[in-house]
Amino acid sequence: MAYSGKSPWVIHYDGSSCNGCDIEVLATLCPGFDGERFGVVNTGNPKHADIFLVTGSVNEQNIDVVKQIYEQMVEPKVVVACGICACSGGIFHDCYNVIGGVDQAIPVDVYAPGCAVRPETLIDAIVAGVAALDEKAEALARAKKERG
Amino acid sequence: MEMLLFLMAFPALIAALLVLIRNNAARNVIVIAGGAVTAIASIACVCMNLGCGLVLFDCESAFADTLCTAVSCICVVVVLAFAVKYKNVIAGVLGLVQLAVVLFVEFAFAHEMDVPQGLYLDSLTLMMVFIIGVIGSGICIYAIGYMEDFQAHEPEGAKDRRPQFFALMFIFLSAMFVIVFSNNMAWMFTGWEVTTLCSFLLIGYTKTEEAIANAFRQIIMNLAGGIAFILALYVCATSVGTFSLDEFIRAGVANPSLVLLPVVLLAFAGITKAAQMPFQTWLLGAMVAPTPTSALLHSSTMVKAGVFLLVKLAPCFLVSPVPSVMVMLVGGVTFLLCSFMAISQTNAKRVLAYSTIANLGLITACAGVGTPEAVWAAMFLILFHAIAKSLLFLCVGTAEHHIGSRDIEDMDLLFERMPRLARLMMLGIMGMFIAPFGMLIAKWATLVSFIEVGQVALIVILAFGSAATFMFWAKWLGKLAGIAGEPQNVELKVHGSEWFSVMLMAMLLVACCVLLPVISMAVAEPYITSVFGLPGQDISSGNLWIASICVCITVIALFTGLGRSKKKKVDVYLSGVLRDDGTRAFQDSLSGESVATARNWYMEDVFGEARIAPVGVVFNSILMACAVVMALCGMTLI
Amino acid sequence: MVSLDLLTLIIATIAFAVLAPVAGCLLAGVDRIISARMQGRVGPPLLQPYYDVRKLFEKERVTVNGVQDAYVICALIFAVIAGGIFFSGGNLLFVVFVITLSSLFFIIAAYSSRSPYAEVGAARETVQVMAYEPMVLLFAVAFYMATALILPASGDIWQGGTFNVGAIFSLDVPVIIYAWPAFLGLMFILTIKLRKSPFDLSMSHHAHQEIVRGMTTEMSGSTLGLVEILHWCENVLFLGWVGIFFVWGGPLSLALGILVALLAYFFEILIDNNFARVKWQFMLKSAWAVAFVLGGINIVVLAML
Repeated sequence: MAYSGKSPWVIHYDGSSCNGCDIEVLATLCPGFDGERFGVVNTGNPKHADIFLVTGSVNEQNIDVVKQIYEQMVEPKVVVACGICACSGGIFHDCYNVIGGVDQAIPVDVYAPGCAVRPETLIDAIVAGVAALDEKAEALARAKKERG
Repeated sequence: MEMLLFLMAFPALIAALLVLIRNNAARNVIVIAGGAVTAIASIACVCMNLGCGLVLFDCESAFADTLCTAVSCICVVVVLAFAVKYKNVIAGVLGLVQLAVVLFVEFAFAHEMDVPQGLYLDSLTLMMVFIIGVIGSGICIYAIGYMEDFQAHEPEGAKDRRPQFFALMFIFLSAMFVIVFSNNMAWMFTGWEVTTLCSFLLIGYTKTEEAIANAFRQIIMNLAGGIAFILALYVCATSVGTFSLDEFIRAGVANPSLVLLPVVLLAFAGITKAAQMPFQTWLLGAMVAPTPTSALLHSSTMVKAGVFLLVKLAPCFLVSPVPSVMVMLVGGVTFLLCSFMAISQTNAKRVLAYSTIANLGLITACAGVGTPEAVWAAMFLILFHAIAKSLLFLCVGTAEHHIGSRDIEDMDLLFERMPRLARLMMLGIMGMFIAPFGMLIAKWATLVSFIEVGQVALIVILAFGSAATFMFWAKWLGKLAGIAGEPQNVELKVHGSEWFSVMLMAMLLVACCVLLPVISMAVAEPYITSVFGLPGQDISSGNLWIASICVCITVIALFTGLGRSKKKKVDVYLSGVLRDDGTRAFQDSLSGESVATARNWYMEDVFGEARIAPVGVVFNSILMACAVVMALCGMTLI
Repeated sequence: MVSLDLLTLIIATIAFAVLAPVAGCLLAGVDRIISARMQGRVGPPLLQPYYDVRKLFEKERVTVNGVQDAYVICALIFAVIAGGIFFSGGNLLFVVFVITLSSLFFIIAAYSSRSPYAEVGAARETVQVMAYEPMVLLFAVAFYMATALILPASGDIWQGGTFNVGAIFSLDVPVIIYAWPAFLGLMFILTIKLRKSPFDLSMSHHAHQEIVRGMTTEMSGSTLGLVEILHWCENVLFLGWVGIFFVWGGPLSLALGILVALLAYFFEILIDNNFARVKWQFMLKSAWAVAFVLGGINIVVLAML
């Protein structure tokens, strides 16, 4: 049985969002929505996190940071693009400095659109992310078995 | 008895050879051979007499008496010569006073004082023989390689004074053997003075201004102690009528008020030698000397002579409240405050110095308590402190020559730069302060002995002092343990003689920790039984064996378990973009490069020397002054 | 005799290694639910800590250096041995020393990563140890002195006290009667030992901290899982310390001891949820003041009785 999905620890990174989505991400963990019901813990440390919640679009200044946080997360890991800016660049998509959605930097598993993204959407996204996480964990376990 | 005479004379003989022969290669051979023979003879002496009670040897010789007096006088004259040369008034005055008292005692009493049994042996002495013979010789051998590097670091054309250096080291060993073997206190005093003089010369070895100032600080304090010693002999001669240490202690136990003053004076002498506050500055100053000197002074000789005398006097302290309270509190306060001050030090040798003084304080406090259990604890504190501290000094000395600094902050990444040395240093540090190593077992016994006599002040002191001890060792250990990047290994050029001694100390440390229950049975118990007539051990042997097992686990983990992880290596997290994992460089907010550095805490404003030292100096000075006054009053009342 | 001691210890250590993580895990689960309720949330399932650790062991095996795991394993081994000594009725001081060794290994593990966050965390942890150590030692001393007062009354020939935890079952009255100041002091520093706010300086349980996650910043996957298990074991041991104040020869006293330990745990959760983290200066000064006043007075009085 895979336990990855039962304990989705998240890390939250604000790319270049207007902070609307960030407030909603944190609201998801607060009493009103209580993400911890599903075992969600906000870790603030990529080395401990399973799910990467990115808000805002990716730009020249932060693309390295996004990439590095993703790299430093330990497999299995899942990326959730939170809000329309993170999904596609949103209304900032044609700004001179904006590269686009998070998927321009790292592979995204779940898109959670919205401006700002609603906590309900986020919880749905995390639950979807959890399924992806379980799949990846199984793949990892299989790979490990095959190797030795 | 031949063995005793051999041990006392042989190192002195080697010293004479070393002065005469100035060839480097020949000197190395002599030092190694001399050290080896001394060590083997010491071990043989210990093995042959293992488990013995008090054994007195008939040894009386007018020639020896005269020789001792002559040597004592020569010591003072040498000091006087230096005092004149460097125009140090206090040292000169103290030297003159001492010379006067020595001559007075010699001509007034010495010939009437017959000590038919001039030499003795008991299990405490055996332990000291082991420490002096094995650890002391190990340090001498270490010094071969160290002094070669030291000389290489000296400016071009500097005078090579190594012959004197090695000669002094060996004389030191001789003098220490005299101290631990002599039942005749006049002889003991001679050994006492010779160690004082040797450390004076060794501290001033570099002849820099600082070295000379520190050497004089040392000699002033220890001359004061020496005067107290000789005055004690004078009072002892008039009141007890003997110079025999054994008879003196027995008289002290039977009639405490009779020997009150000499006991207080001898305790004072022991306290100065053991560098207890307010005399801690001489041992700190001694750090200017080359590291083998520090190692010798701190671990196996000099300061150990002070606590040796105090532990010998423990039965007297048990029945005599004035010196007991003085010694207990001086030791306790020193332990507490020096542990605090060690937190604020960045210089590795100063940390070691403060830790030495603190641990000597604990031994002093144990001696002051004087119960069999406390003496058991004190013996093990002496033993483990000697081994662990010499290991640490030798490691720091080697590290200093290879990384160019003795600052703890510069020992960053030592785990990779000098992998073997760093592990040994970590072992030494752990040996100093953490269970299950011997030092902590001894501290545990100390705590129990304090509880049994209801010494609340000492219990509280020990609780807080131990906490501070944890802090300053743990952060040093942490500094050593850090790993980043792949720095160059710089320990390949370490001398073989240095490795030999360092490994010797490390193995001794592990062996003694593992065999602690056996040592307790073979050495500590016989001494305590012979002195107090009853066994005293607070920790059940079951617990001691469990501790032994824990030592094994720790040592195995330290030397085999580390670095075997097969996991994938990744970079550290620096909250943003990492530029270089080796240097911990990251991209800063201006897209430039910054390096993340972390320094240890030294809490200067809480535990700084300026804030804490005066408290101890004033408190202990007043305490000792009170004790002396009370002893004088007690004396006159009789 | 020695071999018998050793056998008991080995059995107790194995039992502790199996049972303490179970109990500690449940306690951690209860902690998270109670904390959630205190914050007006539902909270995770009871077994959430178990799921977390299982997940951590499923993660890819990575490390920042080749030694950190070895240190963490040492820390865990010694914590388990400490628990074994304690619950086999062994010497309380020995337990204190061995658990300190465990903390030391954990501190070195954090230092070895040489991450600035972990290093700051480790430095803070040494200050934390320095803050609580005096009270822990004085607690053990008070335990000894209290048993010295109680034991002769029970008709024992032994006149002194004892550090042996097992001796509590032959007491006429619980130790708390004579050592309640030490108990209060222990409760104070328990907040530091259980890593609860306001004293969770070196690493906090939840959410962010200015030093990321302090000591465990660089520990991931199975290493972090071991650290969690280490904390479960430690928590059980520390609650055992609380419990022994209330256990004596009387019937049901063991139940009372467990009940009080659980109440103490609840109290710590309450404190955790109601106080903001303090600076180290306050922690050090207050912990030492508590140790000096409560611990000191307790042993002074006991020494005079």
